[in-house]
Amino acid sequence: MRFDRILFQVCRLTLGGIFLYAGLIKAWDVVAFAGSVANYQIPFLTYQLNYLVAASLPYIEMSAGLLLLINRQVRPAALLLGVLDLIFMVALVSVLIRGLDIDCGCFRPGGEGHTTAQAALLRDVGILALAAVSFFQPSWKKS
Amino acid sequence: MNRVPWKSGLWRLVRNAALIAILASALGLALHSRLLWKVFTGRAVVSSQTSPGTGIEVALPLPVELEEVRELLGGDALLIDARSRDAYLEGHLPGARSLPREHIDEQLDAFRGQVPPDRPLIIYCSGYGCPDSFVLAEHLLAVGYRDVRVYEGGLPEWSNAGLPVERGQR
Repeated sequence: MRFDRILFQVCRLTLGGIFLYAGLIKAWDVVAFAGSVANYQIPFLTYQLNYLVAASLPYIEMSAGLLLLINRQVRPAALLLGVLDLIFMVALVSVLIRGLDIDCGCFRPGGEGHTTAQAALLRDVGILALAAVSFFQPSWKKS
Repeated sequence: MNRVPWKSGLWRLVRNAALIAILASALGLALHSRLLWKVFTGRAVVSSQTSPGTGIEVALPLPVELEEVRELLGGDALLIDARSRDAYLEGHLPGARSLPREHIDEQLDAFRGQVPPDRPLIIYCSGYGCPDSFVLAEHLLAVGYRDVRVYEGGLPEWSNAGLPVERGQR
């Protein structure tokens, strides 16, 4: 099916591009991103653990994004990003429940832009859809 | 042996996803090992995008790092512990004064009576994960204190660096 094929390619490239960008911009300033992670005030994430997350998460995003872009390991990469996206959504819901007013830190850490938890959640639903299409790629394609 | 193709396929999928995550994390941790070493040995780190004193007239507290805190304490800066009274009594930075964020309303008048508004203040709590220092700093700026800074590393970073911690009443 031609439409399936185009939809899959568009989703794969968009998802890959989003996460490659998100990872790059955070890896650029890990210290600021550690601050963004700290803003979530997750009880088990101590001062030092915030830095471990901040130093590894951007590279997971970049690697999975890159794999999607170059059309290698598409299903594992889409699965990984889907799971990550779900974790982000849980964190954002907890932000809403606790009534914290923080920037989501999704892209530019400590930047001038301010994305609320609601907006970020909505965006994450879209990203989840992209990951789902990339994961359940059309049956014509054998990977 | 009966093989279940979808099951082995799923297993391979999950394994590959986990491998990507592990290898990518290892790469990130390795590339930032110097920074992480600093964090785990309790030395201060500063964001490359943090530029204190840009002169923009927004009442926001300035972040300070460990070395700056030590320098400022050589002058007449006053350290303020924004954590609870109990946490303060268990251990605080030497010379720090307790002003728990949750009791700011009751204690602010007494504080203002004793501390002039031009005195530099450095506020801390229990490290990056705690919001109290920032909240208290904004409050103090709002009531007229002019030089208010936040030491984000807080007590964990200070004590990890092997610096002395004071206990009990002051």
